[in-house]
Amino acid sequence: MRLKVLKVVLLVMLFFSCRKPYNPEITTVNSNVLVVEGMINIGSDSTIIKLSRTQPIGDKTKNKPEIGAVVTVESDANDKYVLAEKIQGSYVSPGLNLAKTKKYRLSIKTSKGINYLSDYVEVKVTPPMDSLNYKATEDGVQLYVNTHDESNNSRYYRWDYNETWEIYAAYGSTLIWENGRVNDRDMVNNNITRCWRTNNNHPISIASSAKLEKDLIYNAPIAFIKSDSEKVSQKYSIRVRQYALTKEAYEFWENLKKSTESLGSIFDPQPSQLAGNIRNVSNASEPVIGYISAGTYSEKRIFIARNELPQWQYVYPFSCAADTIYPANYKATFEAGDIIPLLELEVSGDRAILSTVRSCADCTIRGSNKRPDFWQ
Amino acid sequence: MRLFYLNLYALLIFCCSTLFAQSKDDQLINVDFANANIAQVVNDLELKTGAYFYYDPSAMDSVLINLKLEQKTLPFILKEVFKNTAINFVVEGKIVFLTKNLEIKKDLAEGYYSSTVAKNSVVSEAKEYENMDQLGAIRETVTANKVYEIGVKTNEIKQGSATVAGYLRDQKSGEPLIGASIYSNTAKVGAISDQFGFYALTMPRGPHNLLIKANGNRDMRRQIVLYSDGKMNVELQEQIYTLKQVQVSAEKRENVKSLEMGVNRLDIKTIKRIPSVFGEPDILRVVLTLPGVQSVGEASTGFNVRGGSADQNLILLNDATIYNPSHFFGFFSAFNPDIVKDVQLYKSTIPQKFGGRLSSVLEVTNREGNKKKFTGSAGIGLITSRLNIEGPIDSNRTSFILGARTTYSNWLLKLLPDDYKNSRASFTDANLGISHQFNEKNSIYLSGYFSKDSFKLNSDTTYGYSNKNFGLKWKHDFNNKLYGVLSLGTDRYDYHIQSDDNPVNAYKLNFDINQVNFKTDFVYNFSNDHIFDFGFSTIHYKLHPGSFLPNSSQSLVIPDVVEPEQALESTIYIGDKYDIGNNFSISAGLRYSFFNYLGPQSLNTYASNLPITEDNITGVNVYGKNKSIKTYHGPEIRASARYNFAPDFSVKASYNTLRQYIHLLSNTTAIAPTDIWKLSDPNIKPQFGSQVSLGFYKNFKSQTIETSIEGYYKNINDFLDYKSGANLVLNNNIETDVISTNGKAYGVEFFVKKNTGKLNGWMSYAYSRTLLKMDDAQGGILVNDGKYYAANFDKPHAFNFTGNYRFKHRYNLSINLTYSTGRPITLPVAKYNYGGADRVYYSDRNAYRIPDYFRTDISFNIEGNHKIKQLTHNSWTIGIYNITGRQNPYSTYFTTENGVINGYKLSIFATALPFINYNITF
Repeated sequence: MRLKVLKVVLLVMLFFSCRKPYNPEITTVNSNVLVVEGMINIGSDSTIIKLSRTQPIGDKTKNKPEIGAVVTVESDANDKYVLAEKIQGSYVSPGLNLAKTKKYRLSIKTSKGINYLSDYVEVKVTPPMDSLNYKATEDGVQLYVNTHDESNNSRYYRWDYNETWEIYAAYGSTLIWENGRVNDRDMVNNNITRCWRTNNNHPISIASSAKLEKDLIYNAPIAFIKSDSEKVSQKYSIRVRQYALTKEAYEFWENLKKSTESLGSIFDPQPSQLAGNIRNVSNASEPVIGYISAGTYSEKRIFIARNELPQWQYVYPFSCAADTIYPANYKATFEAGDIIPLLELEVSGDRAILSTVRSCADCTIRGSNKRPDFWQ
Repeated sequence: MRLFYLNLYALLIFCCSTLFAQSKDDQLINVDFANANIAQVVNDLELKTGAYFYYDPSAMDSVLINLKLEQKTLPFILKEVFKNTAINFVVEGKIVFLTKNLEIKKDLAEGYYSSTVAKNSVVSEAKEYENMDQLGAIRETVTANKVYEIGVKTNEIKQGSATVAGYLRDQKSGEPLIGASIYSNTAKVGAISDQFGFYALTMPRGPHNLLIKANGNRDMRRQIVLYSDGKMNVELQEQIYTLKQVQVSAEKRENVKSLEMGVNRLDIKTIKRIPSVFGEPDILRVVLTLPGVQSVGEASTGFNVRGGSADQNLILLNDATIYNPSHFFGFFSAFNPDIVKDVQLYKSTIPQKFGGRLSSVLEVTNREGNKKKFTGSAGIGLITSRLNIEGPIDSNRTSFILGARTTYSNWLLKLLPDDYKNSRASFTDANLGISHQFNEKNSIYLSGYFSKDSFKLNSDTTYGYSNKNFGLKWKHDFNNKLYGVLSLGTDRYDYHIQSDDNPVNAYKLNFDINQVNFKTDFVYNFSNDHIFDFGFSTIHYKLHPGSFLPNSSQSLVIPDVVEPEQALESTIYIGDKYDIGNNFSISAGLRYSFFNYLGPQSLNTYASNLPITEDNITGVNVYGKNKSIKTYHGPEIRASARYNFAPDFSVKASYNTLRQYIHLLSNTTAIAPTDIWKLSDPNIKPQFGSQVSLGFYKNFKSQTIETSIEGYYKNINDFLDYKSGANLVLNNNIETDVISTNGKAYGVEFFVKKNTGKLNGWMSYAYSRTLLKMDDAQGGILVNDGKYYAANFDKPHAFNFTGNYRFKHRYNLSINLTYSTGRPITLPVAKYNYGGADRVYYSDRNAYRIPDYFRTDISFNIEGNHKIKQLTHNSWTIGIYNITGRQNPYSTYFTTENGVINGYKLSIFATALPFINYNITF
């Protein structure tokens, strides 16, 4: 609540202020801290634990996976379940179907032989979401989650989500330049006009009913889509996963959110160290980032079609124009692949092809033309 | 010509009795007067000599005569009778004229200069007057030429000393003058008026020539004859600076001569000349230009004095504690510049009468109101307007002052993007002061302060905070040497946040702190060498640390009320200011404070030798109402010494220890209005601080330029910091989230000040460091592994220049320059992907700094014409804040946007910001 309120101040300040990118010179320390992310899924869903290392801020590479580690789920009754490294840094086990009554922890032995252990955590079984709905305002669409737990045991919740939306190229292309000539395009397998984009990045969404009489979450905001976003230009879908958390796990996420997402004014909490629940067995003072929980999740998916929303204007991100190309120029124009043939037409009796630049005709540069399995 | 006349005139007053000593009259008579009044003396002499007296009995009835003489002439007897009185006599045959103050000049006695004894005395007297005239103090007022008789008049001046006491006031408004000096040239002793304008001066009995000086007022002289203890009030005229004449004063040596170290006194005239953002004079911003005072950034609520945190400043407005001295999150200070009289900041020598905070005392004193006529003023600015009226209620004895300010800043918010069009922000404050003098010995002062801030963000969350203070003071003068002040007051600070955006979660959060104060302060002017002060005070605190309540019928919020806490802080103190000879003075004070944490309360007990965490709770102790749960007590030492090597050069040293029992818990860089205050309890120890300082003070150019160098070293123990990720609001076990921190601060401050002349102002440079360390073994995870780290406001180099140049009487230009090292920040040093986004990993706390800060402000003040007879007097202030438009970073932040980390630098007031302010005085 402080955050929200203090935005007023920032607002007033912003009126007189200016914001500029800031890239301070930081002595390049490679902190190389182990980062552990994931949840011990006690149900039939896979348990996925991702191990990585922190990188210097200016590092351009995407991620730095921790490979070759041995990752084991252990119970307080001494059961052990080893996870397999499926892709680099991602350690997976199919549905473990564990007992809810036991406590579990994660054991990691890195390729260098260093042992890390998480604390034993209790199992939190997540209740289903009551609803995942949305509300359109002038500015865009706000998505909300509603949930409750009759047993009043959940209290602390986190949601993550995955968004998918349909996109179209500015111009449709029915032709393809292949093998040195213009052919008809395979409109089933090689359609480049209609695609789907996905996004896994999102801010941390958490909420708690700890201060309420009932374990009830009413309209917890999840994602907000601006009215001019491409996401709502055709059809949009979101899959939300809900996780019930322990109080400690909730505090970890809250702290993580505060120190990495808030505005950083002098009224925001000072960045502070994150106290996770994973430790180096032989050196407890070594920082390790991450909090391991155990339990289940529930999920829900909804679709929002354009006709369910106000008539918002979406502006295609590139400026586009089509040009007519005559046969003599086909090879010179299309061979490099930057210009896409759209359709054949006749200009004063001559055959010609209407064409445009790739960014205006090929949606695969921004998404995938493979229709997702769940798409309706 | 006039000067000559004055000299002669003065000479005659002093010599009148010797003038006629040579008159011939052979009739010898005997007289024996015992406590005789003038009528009895005259009757007796008329009977015995047949002479006839002309005189005004009513003008001379205060004289009592004790004299026994045998076989003397009438002139000889008259000379003895009226010796040391202001009564002059002339004998002309059988007729005697008695006059008071004025004498009838018959002729210049021929034999006068032949008397060698008399000649010497006359010459020395006359010389003294000449010297004074050369120093530039011209006695212009009639009253200065009068000889005042103090005490019960006797013809014979007794041996020993007596005390003259009274009030120094401004002639125009009748307001007391604080810190004015009254000095006897004859006896070479002086005194300084206190916050009531009261002074007491003990001197040998007899004639004295007094010089009275007050900043901003014209120097005054008084001639007195001190018979016994008595009263004298002096009204001083306002100083009008003329262009050609540069006022050179002989005794502006306050900084060199006083015992105080690290004390800055600013009057409102100075404050008003300094440019400020939005054009409204801002007291806290001016305080920030003083050496040793820092803040975390522009527009932040708190200020930091010599390495202390913001809650370690005791901010007093007319003796009332102000818990939040800012409006609008620090854009404006809570003090109305039209009401304030002056501001004093104690950084080093903290008088023993003050306590309860570790770093400093900021004492803001409001005016008492004009005792002579109704006046008022109004100011119109871009964002705020203010109005004040003041005047007498009956005759000269009661006066009032009322001031109010308000904002109309909503227009500003309307200019913001549509997203925020429903936002509102405003503040209001009001001051009331009433003073009444019952009689010479008893006065009461009543003052009240009220402020309210409110904010609303897009019609879902409203937010507000408020100060409410009320105080009553009764001053009683027991006698000339002893007076006491009894004060009673209540102070309150509260804030609330409420939200009704989500009906299920609609809540209202309240916090408040209340204190009731009672104190007595006595000042005993034992002699000129010893001034004792002593007193007793007690404060009852009651805090409601937070209540979280549903705000609508649909709301499912469970009422959560953190248990109120209360405590009693009581103090006794005694101090002595002792002058050992002319050049050496010491001041020694001892303050003893007791703190009782009182029930009802339930408190957790924790396993000993284990970290204070919720896991280590061993039980809960429940205490009954008003049961003393925990007592902390201890002495505080306030000592300082001064040695004058030369009249314009002195060295001072001081040692202070302080205790603080109430703490502000904040996990933000700057203090926010929603931070909470916490009392010491069994699990939270009081803070303890000590400071040693040494300073050199030297004045130049006839005392018009003051310079000083002060160095200090300070220890801070048991300062409260918070643990990583602590939630401080509505925390029922707050001791588990805070951690004791120790700190050290040291620095050197250079200060140059020019008080007079067309160009005046001050310049300061300070090198200072503030380092903190979490070394509590039971603290769990320690910041920076328990090593020292720079505090948020640690800015090693700070330079300030504040100057004012008066072109003409009506036009003056002010410039303000500020430079400081950038404040420390915690920067991200690494990144990683977690929870759906790239995130940052931070460095050790405060391991980096933001770029240096530099700002120049300029303002031009135009006063209206000075015709006395006009309905209103107007003045304009126009200026530019941050004239160079430098984009000083206010904060930096790193945020995850679309999964990518971006760093930003936010500058506020990042362009040259013009302002205009119009003031009306009526």
